[in-house]
Formats: sequence, structure tokens, C-alpha cells
Amino acid sequence: MKLPRRNFLKLSAATVGAVSVGGAVTLTSRAKAAPAWYTKEVKQVFQICENCFWRCGIKASVVGNRVYKVDGYKENPKSRGMLCPRGQAAPAQTYDPDRLKKPLIRIEGSQRGDGRYREASWEEALDYIAKKMLGLKEQYGTESIAFFGHGTGDGWFVDFLPAAWGSPNAAKPSVSLCTAPREVAAQYTFGRAIGGHEPIDWPNTKYIVLIGHHIGEDTHNTQLQEFSEARKNGARVVVVDPRFSTAAAKADRWLPIKPGTDTALLLAWIHVLISENLYDQAFIEKYTVGMDQLVAHIKPYTPEWAEQQTEIPAQVIRQVAREMAQHKPKAILPPTRHTVWYGNDTQRMRASYILNTLLGNYGREGGFYIAMAPYLEKYPTPQLPLEPAAGGCAGPAAVVTEPEGFKPRADKGKFLANTTAIQELIEPMVSGQPYPIKGLFAYGINLFHAIPNVPRTKEALSKLDLYVAIDVLPQEHVMWADVILPEATYLERYDDFVTVAHKTPFIQLRMPAHEPLYDSKPGWWIAKELGKRIGLEQFFPWQNIEEYLDTRMQTVGLDLETMKSMGTMVQNGKPWLTDWEKENSLPFNTLSGKIELYSEALAKAGFDPLPKYEAPQAVPEGFYRLLYGRSPVHTFARTQNNPVLMEMESSNSVWLNAEEAARLGFKPGDHAYLINQDGVREGPVRLKVTQRIRKDAVYITHGFGHKAKGMALADGRGASDSYLQTRYTLDRISGGAGLRNNFVKLEKAPAPKLKSVTQLIKERGA
Amino acid sequence: MARLGMLIDLSACVGCAACAVACKMENQVPAGASRLWIREREVGRFPNLAVEFRPEQCNHCENPPCVPVCPTGASYQTKDGLVEVDVAKCIACGACAAACPYDARFTNKKGGYADKCNFCAHRLAKDQQPACVETCPAYARVFGDLDDPNSEIAKVLKAAERSDVLRPDQGTRPKVIYLNAPSKKGLTQEVSDS
Amino acid sequence: MTEFYGVPNTSEFWHWTNALHFVLVGLAGGMALLAAILTLRQHPERNRYVWLAAVLIVLDLFVLWAESPARWRFSHIWLFLSFQPGAPIWWGAWGLAAALVATAALLLKQWFVPLRRIPEVVPGLVLLLGSLVALAYPGFALAVNTTRPLWNEMMLFIFPITALLMVLAIALLLGSTWARRWEVLVAALSLALLVAYPLTLQGAAREHFNQEGLIGYGVAGLLIAVAALFFRNPRWAAALGLAGAVGVRWLLVMVGQFQSPGL
Ligand SMILES: Nc1nc2c(c(=O)[nH]1)N[C@H]1C(S)=C(S)[C@@H](COP(=O)(O)OP(=O)(O)OC[C@H]3O[C@@H](n4cnc5c(=O)[nH]c(N)nc54)[C@H](O)[C@@H]3O)O[C@H]1N2
Ligand SMILES: Nc1nc2c(c(=O)[nH]1)N[C@H]1C(S)=C(S)[C@@H](COP(=O)(O)OP(=O)(O)OC[C@H]3O[C@@H](n4cnc5c(=O)[nH]c(N)nc54)[C@H](O)[C@@H]3O)O[C@H]1N2
Ligand code: SF4
Ligand code: SF4
Ligand code: SF4
Ligand code: SF4
Ligand code: SF4
Ligand SMILES: [Mo]
Repeated sequence: MKLPRRNFLKLSAATVGAVSVGGAVTLTSRAKAAPAWYTKEVKQVFQICENCFWRCGIKASVVGNRVYKVDGYKENPKSRGMLCPRGQAAPAQTYDPDRLKKPLIRIEGSQRGDGRYREASWEEALDYIAKKMLGLKEQYGTESIAFFGHGTGDGWFVDFLPAAWGSPNAAKPSVSLCTAPREVAAQYTFGRAIGGHEPIDWPNTKYIVLIGHHIGEDTHNTQLQEFSEARKNGARVVVVDPRFSTAAAKADRWLPIKPGTDTALLLAWIHVLISENLYDQAFIEKYTVGMDQLVAHIKPYTPEWAEQQTEIPAQVIRQVAREMAQHKPKAILPPTRHTVWYGNDTQRMRASYILNTLLGNYGREGGFYIAMAPYLEKYPTPQLPLEPAAGGCAGPAAVVTEPEGFKPRADKGKFLANTTAIQELIEPMVSGQPYPIKGLFAYGINLFHAIPNVPRTKEALSKLDLYVAIDVLPQEHVMWADVILPEATYLERYDDFVTVAHKTPFIQLRMPAHEPLYDSKPGWWIAKELGKRIGLEQFFPWQNIEEYLDTRMQTVGLDLETMKSMGTMVQNGKPWLTDWEKENSLPFNTLSGKIELYSEALAKAGFDPLPKYEAPQAVPEGFYRLLYGRSPVHTFARTQNNPVLMEMESSNSVWLNAEEAARLGFKPGDHAYLINQDGVREGPVRLKVTQRIRKDAVYITHGFGHKAKGMALADGRGASDSYLQTRYTLDRISGGAGLRNNFVKLEKAPAPKLKSVTQLIKERGA
Repeated sequence: MARLGMLIDLSACVGCAACAVACKMENQVPAGASRLWIREREVGRFPNLAVEFRPEQCNHCENPPCVPVCPTGASYQTKDGLVEVDVAKCIACGACAAACPYDARFTNKKGGYADKCNFCAHRLAKDQQPACVETCPAYARVFGDLDDPNSEIAKVLKAAERSDVLRPDQGTRPKVIYLNAPSKKGLTQEVSDS
Repeated sequence: MTEFYGVPNTSEFWHWTNALHFVLVGLAGGMALLAAILTLRQHPERNRYVWLAAVLIVLDLFVLWAESPARWRFSHIWLFLSFQPGAPIWWGAWGLAAALVATAALLLKQWFVPLRRIPEVVPGLVLLLGSLVALAYPGFALAVNTTRPLWNEMMLFIFPITALLMVLAIALLLGSTWARRWEVLVAALSLALLVAYPLTLQGAAREHFNQEGLIGYGVAGLLIAVAALFFRNPRWAAALGLAGAVGVRWLLVMVGQFQSPGL
């Protein structure tokens, strides 16, 4: 019995309404709900977002001692007026009540990991550290202290301080656990770095092939903007990913490749371009060496062969190869960033660069542009005993032989590249080989969530004589330290200039929006105060950070005050080959001065001069390969205590193919434990039963599964991929640690009994 | 007399939630409530799949059921088509939340008033774009006057292959208009899991 | 599989305090109607029911104010400073106010002599009119929300009728035997409505009703059935009928906030 509902009600409301005087009587004044901060006196300060390593230039809106909103600004080539979700929410971390507030010293007699601390003054804490450091220098030498770090302040704690102190054992997770394979491959192929800001001319490209590279979930701001521009300008997109990622959802074609077989696909594409003569012959002849060897080498790698490895139909492989050739040179395979996958990654990146070169896109519109670093001189200090060894996205530093009287870096000889590999510096802490590392600084790096084989890291930490953590949150690894130093968050401090190699190289300023809260200090102050106490006074000749920054700015004809009113200083670069040819030079710093399809240097070092295919390790019976990636609203393992981002997504979930779920008897919304090949168990974690992933793999986003009591929102939610990555496959060329040879099986789990994030936020008041 | 509205291009939107976070920060939206959220729904079977990333917020409906039900006149429509809440008159009775077919409203408990997306009226007053439009790194949002033929919003709408609104059956004539929905059948709808 | 970043506002917008208001407003409206009829018929017991109506109206208006997060802004004044004919709650406020004024006129006669000059039929009629509005508006306040499938037109009948059932049951409990006949009639009418209501639900609405509300609804229905059919002890029947009516109103307000999955 369905009453004619709609019209009945309409009738009754209408008849009643007809009596009224033309809708509601409106009084003139309307108290609109403008946000409270907006109505007050708002100051604008140029700053740089620190919620990931992309470092977008931002304007912070400050009222009194609080930043309420940050926005990008058009003149900054990174943000260009827009921000990603993490950048928008970053200020909430500065006012996180769980934040580290005062220096802490571990209570004498307690074990590392007990987390029992007493508050201390900065003087006492720094004196404690200096005494221990000088003791270790006496007993084991300066090299016995390792400096791990990441973030804008890693300039002080990973590049400058260790080089001044005399330790080559300085490392960043963003090298051997992120970009090492693509950077080393770029050095051996182009004689240049890719660099921290991927030099892709997105807006002008017409054909994009993403291998992994999950743009949209990886929300590196400018890259997402320009990828969107490319699509709006009509570029066709092909995504190669075992998972139907966000990028695949935007693509014209998705190739659900079998994990770990991408090199086979790349080699088959090279094969088609050469065998069907579709490559840019003029470009190859003019700018490359080794084509003949490549032509011979590539013969066996047919699409039919590649279909066996990748499970992508040969005819699709052939078709995509022809399409990309058709759009050359405005066709590109961007190198992605996190390239430490299966341990043979440098060769995979070499194959990708060779294919890009065949498309003739290097140094040309719609392909790779040639990024240049901005000109800015260092602050004059005495010559540092060592060169910075950690490298970074700007490409490996050329520390080939260490100076007189210094031991080589403890991981030298384990792999070919010249930069340190952070995960290879942990073994010496455990075994004392090649020489003991007895001290560790961890500045802005997540020891348990960013470095594989957590049990080994914990064993290493327990054997150290000194472990200092400089952080902003009581992360699990921080609560193992002997001394915890609370750094002021990014909104509360100056940092050294951020210089970005780019099509238009630029320099960015970060200045404090307000005084540091609690008893936290900026990184530069900590480095200088510590330097004074360990005999490095002469390397810190500047009085304060303003003088330091002002002096550096003078070398480009400006000063700190003007920079405070600009935020960013943009210089012009030489992005295209034609720019270089005008000065009759080429940008390739290889032995041959050209792009090396065939790498003589690799051959001499005993590695394949041309990339070969190695099948990935097989997935054990009853297991799934553990794949991982980014959540768009979280950064690594550092934002899971940010109330705004945790309201967006409070846990990761494990993606499981719907048919596999049915077979195992899992229903949507169930929870599961993930148990890896070494019996490590993570979870319970929510199941995402989906069609969007192959049957032989499961996927979780990185950064969850925190075990940190002091982080109220983060503790105990989701599963940690790094805890499950007890094994890694070392890339003998780049030192990269391939993380994707870990496997998990799933077991039913009860839903975790946790208070909701919203409830916790209300209880904490922020 | 303008007719202010918002376009969301679903072919551009990657569901990154930068808009939702910007909204939370700009408007100090309390924990547990949202003026703007992202709904993500997969369609199809492996390997023929589509995913709809769909931001949702108040649609500033032309025929808003949430206005006539307000007993104090706090819920009102401005002449250029914004549906706003006059905080001074609001008794936080929730009648407007009951009437809204889009779950767009909530009660701001601390302030004691009905809250929802107000198209960042405070920013519009200073000729700024709404916070969500300004921050979107995928150029998926366009805000403006639907009645002004040479406004960007009108041009983009005219050029779009298809446009859809949420729950057209409710007769509310929403002014948040979705372009280029990934699935041919238009916007996806919840299918009860049973 | 639907996932979210941020959450739509699908949690309850009306809580137990609002459900309490929907019960109290039924008692107030029903008692006002009863008082009005008794006054117009100059029934000897009218005074007691006018007092009861006044107390219940004041109590309901207090709860309406107290449960609102806007209480300390006293913005409720705008209920009477604006003209919102499309808003059932606006009608309710005016209806209850008119009824309250009428009861005041009738009750204050004893102490305020000039009031005696007004014949009881005038406040009686105002009370009648106010009570009818107060009885009708809760049903409209739910049914006007066409997006909430459980709050369909049946609300326009269930809420007024159950209100009458409550007050007649109270009258019976207070010993007014004349209420007996009416209470049984209204109880039977309520029962008929309760049996018919689930049939008007379809698809997701019916599914939600069965999952969330069926047991409570069934128990309330039984109690009202007892009130309608159980002759042996009228007091017991009235009390159970009252409880059943309160239960149905409470349940329909809480369970009915469901929004069919149109999004
Ligand atoms: N929101 C957010 N964005 C970020 C970051 C963050 O923390 N949060 N971090 C930034 C940083 S430092 C980095 S390094 C980047 C990392 O982001 P990317 O450089 O894009 O990382 P990838 O590992 O290339 O891409 C992960 C994708 O690879 C797919 N994949 C897994 N195995 C294989 C395989 O064998 N073959 C192929 N073809 N694909 C596979 C996965 O399904 C996943 O979709 O993200 C950056 N952007
Ligand atoms: N399992 C797994 N491991 C990975 C990856 C993965 O996807 N999965 N990704 C790899 C990649 S691509 C990268 S780039 C690395 C990133 O590795 P990390 O940079 O180590 O990762 P985060 O979790 O961001 O750790 C940052 C640490 O700095 C702290 N911190 C935040 N802000 C500040 C600040 O202002 N000052 C100081 N002093 N500290 C601060 C945080 O609390 C946290 O402890 O991880 C690598 N390791
Ligand atoms: S990409 Fe996002 S989190 Fe990273 S610096 Fe830019 S705005 Fe901040
Ligand atoms: S910011 Fe833009 S791309 Fe991201 S969810 Fe919002 S509308 Fe979509
Ligand atoms: S979306 Fe809801 S709150 Fe917004 S105008 Fe429409 S009915 Fe009103
Ligand atoms: S909550 Fe406020 S705006 Fe909404 S109906 Fe009630 S008085 Fe009107
Ligand atoms: S227009 Fe403003 S209030 Fe509305 S969703 Fe966007 S940011 Fe939020
Ligand atoms: Mo990275």
C-alpha cells in the first residue's frame, strides 16, 4: 500500500506555505559562521612544509602563538598555490599534545626499550652526549659513531656534523631504501642524477607509462599537479602495476603485471622498438654509445618470451611499444622514486632509461628536462676533514677514497655505489665487523618503520654505548634512546635554505611562525651547541642562524630580509639539450661524454653492461607477496598521530583479491593477522576484499602498526609493513635494499578493541 | 543575482582528500564531523575495473529541503544561491539535518549551531576561492556563477560530455555537479552488501 | 566495497533527549486536547486536566530548551520572532505556546479576578486549537523529511493517535472512569495503525526496520494490544498501553533517522 507520498506532502506544505508572505521573513543582519581565527589579526609568514621530503613552499597564517592554516603560493615552483592533504594538515602536528617537550635522559640501570626517562636541561643532556662521544672517539675512533637522519635538518646531522666530526658512517633512508637504484642507474647511463624533484616535462608529454609509481596515492604535490595537467592536455597513460592503483584508475590502459617481472616487459619493449625500427635513430646516433651491443643483446627478449614472465599478452606488449614510439619524443617512462623493489633494481632502471633514450626524450620537450641546482654558496667554514658520504636525491657524492687517517665507511665493498646504505651500517653495530660502531644519532628518521629487519636493528641498539634520538614524537625507536632531544617543529624554526635542482632552479626559506613551544630547540641550535662541546667550534663560526642565512644570501645579491618578503628566489636553468648545444657542450658526465646504453664502467666492475632479466623469488605455497605503498593522507610513519589525518584514515587495511577471500572464508570488513615467512605476526588489520589486486599478492599502505604507547592516536592501529620485512635483497650495484621479497599468510583475527580516533581526540582536547 | 555552484570533474579527481583536509583546517571543523568527505567505490570485476573517487559536501541545492523546515529562519538561501546558517538564530534543533538527503549537516556542539559547507563564504567575501578549490592539486574543482555564460564554470560545464548530480530523484536541484563519472551508468550507488 | 576519507554525517542527529521530547510533546498535546474538551463541556473534572496540561507543556518546552546545545544563547526566541510556515517545529512552538496561555487563563482565574470576566469557552477554544496543532506537528516534523523512508505519511496518524492513547491511559489511571471507552477505542485504532505501518515500508527501509526496530516495535504493539483488549483490569491495561505508546514513539524517532542508501 504505497500512499501517493510525494504529492500529498507537497500539497500540505504548499497549502500551508501559500499562506506565508513569500518565504521566510529575513532580517538584514546575518551572523555567518566565519572561522574564529579568520576574524582576528592574521600574520602571513613564508615557510616550507615538512610533512614530507618534497618540501613545498607555503604561507602560514599565524594568530598569536598558533598557525591555523597553511596554503601554497603561486610564485613557489613546488606548491604553485596548491597543497596535498598532508601539507594542509601538517600544522596539527605542532600542537599535538603527545609531542616531545623536554630533553629526556634514560634512567640509569634501565634497559634500552624500557622507556623509563627523567627530564633534563639542555645543558645536562648535551654535556652527557659530548662526554660519551669523546669517550668513544678515544676508545674506537670518530668512525665508531653513525649518524642517521632525514628531513630538512639532515643537512646538519647527516652531511655537516659527521664530516666535521670525522665519521663516514652517515646515511639517509631516502637513498638505499628509496632512490639509490634510479640515481646510480642514472649516473651510469646519463652521467647525471635524476634529483629530488623528478625532471619530467609532464605538461608537454603525450604518452606516459608508469611502472608502479602510484601517483594519486603518492601525493607528491607538484608531480600530481603536472600529471593532472598532462592528462588534461590529452596525454595517454599506461599503468603497469599488479594492483589497480589510483593511477591505473585514471589510465587509458592497465597492465596487471606479475610482481617482480617489469624488467622482462622493459626488455621486450626495447626489442620491439629496435626490431621494428621505431626508435629515434638520429638521437641514438648523436647522443649515445653502445647501440650495436644493445641490438645484439636484445634479440632473445621477444614479447612472446615476456608474456611467459609477466602474464601480459604479447600482442598488448607490442601494441604499447608501437603507441609509445608513435608519440616520441613526447613519450616517457618516468623513473618513479621508491625503486628498491627486488634487489636487481639498478638494472631495471637502466632498462627503463635505455627505453627512454630510444624514444629520444632526454633533454627534449615532453621528456626529461635537464635540471640544474641553483647557485648559492656555502657559509665559509674551515675545510671539513671528510666529504659528506650520505648522498641523497641529488645523486651520490664521489667519495671514492677516504682521506688519510680515516677508516673507510663501514659498508664499503658491499656494493658498487659510492654512497652509504643505511641498512648496511647496522651489521657493524651487531658484529663489530669491519669495525665496531658503538654510537648512533637518529635525527628525524624512523629506525623501526623505515629500515627492514627490525629484530636486527633492536639487537644493534641494545649493543650500543650511546644512542641519541632527535625527534618531535615519542616514536617507538625514540623511546629506546639514552638521550632524547625534542626538536622544535618546522613552524617554530629556521632551517638552512632548501635549494632545488629544477627546470628553473630555486632557493626556499623557512622562518619561524612563532617561538618554539615547550622546551624544544631548532636543529641548527642543537648542532652548534653539540659542536662546541665536541671540539668542532671552528666549524660553527656564525653567531646565529640569521647571520648564517644572511651571509649565504649575499652570495646571490640578496639578503635575509628581502628573502623573508619573497619566500622563494627562482633562477634560470638550461633544461633542454639545445640550451647546452648553444654552448657546444653536452650534459652527460659519462666516460664517453654520451648516454651509455652499454656501460663500460659496469662491465669493468664485473656487472652486466646491458640489463638482463632475473625471475623474482617464487611465492611460497599458501603465502602472498607483500606489496606496500603510500596512503594519500599519510606520510610514512610520521603522521599517524596527526588528529586531522587520522580522522581521514585511522588505519591501513590489507587488500586481498575477492576470489582469494572467498576461498579463505573472509568477508568484507573482517580482520586478519599477517604472518610472514619468518613467523613475525602483525595486525589485527582490517581486510579490504577487492577486485583491484592480483591473486598472488596482498597490499598494505606503509606507516601503520605503531607500537608507541606515547602516541595515543597511532598506537596499535593496523599492521606495519616494515615489521613484516625481516628480509631484504641487497642490490649489489646501488646498495638498495629490495623490500618486496617478503611473503605473508593470513589468519582470522578478532576486531581490535580500540577507542575511536574521534573519541581520543576529544579526550585529549586536540 | 548569481547562481553559485561547484563542478567536480571525476575524471580528474584522484580522491586524495586534500580538499577535505583543507576544509577541516580552514573552517576548524570539530572532530567526528565533516563538511566534506571523499567516497571511493570500485566498479566491475578484475581486470575490467573503474574506481569512482567522489568528494561530497553540501550541494547548496536550488530547492533546499533544509530551509523551509527551519523553525527560526536560521537556515536560509542567499540571493546568489548559497544555503547558509545564521548562527545567531539557530537553536541547533537538527530539523535541517533530518531534511538533508546528503548527510551534509551536523550539529557543532561547542558552538551550538547547525554546521555544513558554506562555500567558504568568508573567503568569497574577499574574492578568494573556497579552500577546497584552491588546494586541489588535480584541478578537479571549479567554483563560480552557473548563470554567467563567460564564467569558467559555465564553459567547463557546457563542454563536459556528461554531468550528474546526487539523488536527482529528491528534486533538490543540487548545485554541486559531477562531470565525467567513470562508469557509463553515471554516479554509483550503494548496493546493500547482502 | 565503499571506502571513505573523512566521514559523511550519518550518525544520529536526534538523541535520547529528542526522543524524550517526542514523548513529552505527545503527552502535552494530548492532555491539552483533553483539557480543552472537558473545559468546553464544563466537565467537573476539567480543572485537574488543565493543571496537568499546563505542567506537561512547561516540562516539554523546558526539555526543548535544555537539550539544545544553543541553550545559553537563548536563540529560541527566534521561534516567535520569525514566520516559518514550512517548519513543523515552528507550528509546534506556537501551538504549545497558545495552549499554555490558554491554561494560564483558565488556572489563574482563582487569583487574578479580572480574568473571571472572560467566559471559559474562549480560552477553551484557544486551548483546543493549540492542542490540535501540538498533536499534529510531531508527525509532520518526521514525515516532512521525504529522504527518511521510515518517516512516511503514517507518522501523521501514529503520533497523534498514540498521544491520545497516552493521555487517556493516564486519565484512566487517575480514576476518570469516563476515559475507559475512549482509551479502548484509541488503543484499538493505534493497534490497527501499528499493524499497517510495516506494510508501507519497502526495500532498504523495510530491511533496516526489521534489523533495527522489529523487536522493540513488536513488544510495544503487544502492550497496546493488551490496552485495547484486556478488559478484566482496566488500570493494568491503561498502564501497559501507556508504556507501549511511549515505546513506539521513542523507537520511531530513533530508528527512523535512517537514510536509504541513495548515495
Ligand atoms: N601520500 C604520500 N605520498 C608520498 C609519500 C608519503 O609518505 N605519503 N612518500 C614519498 C616518497 S619519499 C616516495 S619514495 C614515493 C614512493 O612512491 P612511488 O615512487 O610511486 O612508489 P612505487 O614503489 O614506485 O609505487 C608503489 C606501487 O607499485 C606497485 N607495485 C608493487 N610491486 C610492483 C611490481 O613488482 N611491479 C610494478 N610494476 N608495480 C609494483 C604497488 O602496487 C604500488 O601501487 O612516494 C612519495 N609520495
Ligand atoms: N617498510 C618500508 N620501509 C620504507 C619505505 C616503505 O614504503 N616501506 N619507504 C622508504 C622511503 S621511500 C623513504 S624516503 C624512507 C623515509 O624514512 P623516514 O624519513 O625515516 O620515515 P618517517 O616515518 O617519515 O620518519 C621520520 C621521523 O622523523 C620524525 N620527525 C618528524 N618531523 C620531524 C622534525 O621536524 N624534526 C625531527 N628531528 N624529527 C622529525 C618522525 O617522528 C619520525 O620519527 O623510508 C623508507 N623505508
Ligand atoms: S607534497 Fe604535501 S606533505 Fe610533501 S611537502 Fe608538499 S604539501 Fe607538504
Ligand atoms: S583535492 Fe581534488 S583530487 Fe583530491 S580529493 Fe579533493 S577534489 Fe579530488
Ligand atoms: S545538500 Fe543538504 S544541507 Fe545542503 S542545501 Fe541541499 S539539503 Fe540543504
Ligand atoms: S539546527 Fe539551526 S539551522 Fe537547522 S533547522 Fe534547527 S534552527 Fe534551523
Ligand atoms: S567550499 Fe569551503 S566549506 Fe565548502 S567544502 Fe569547500 S572548503 Fe569546505
Ligand atoms: Mo622515498
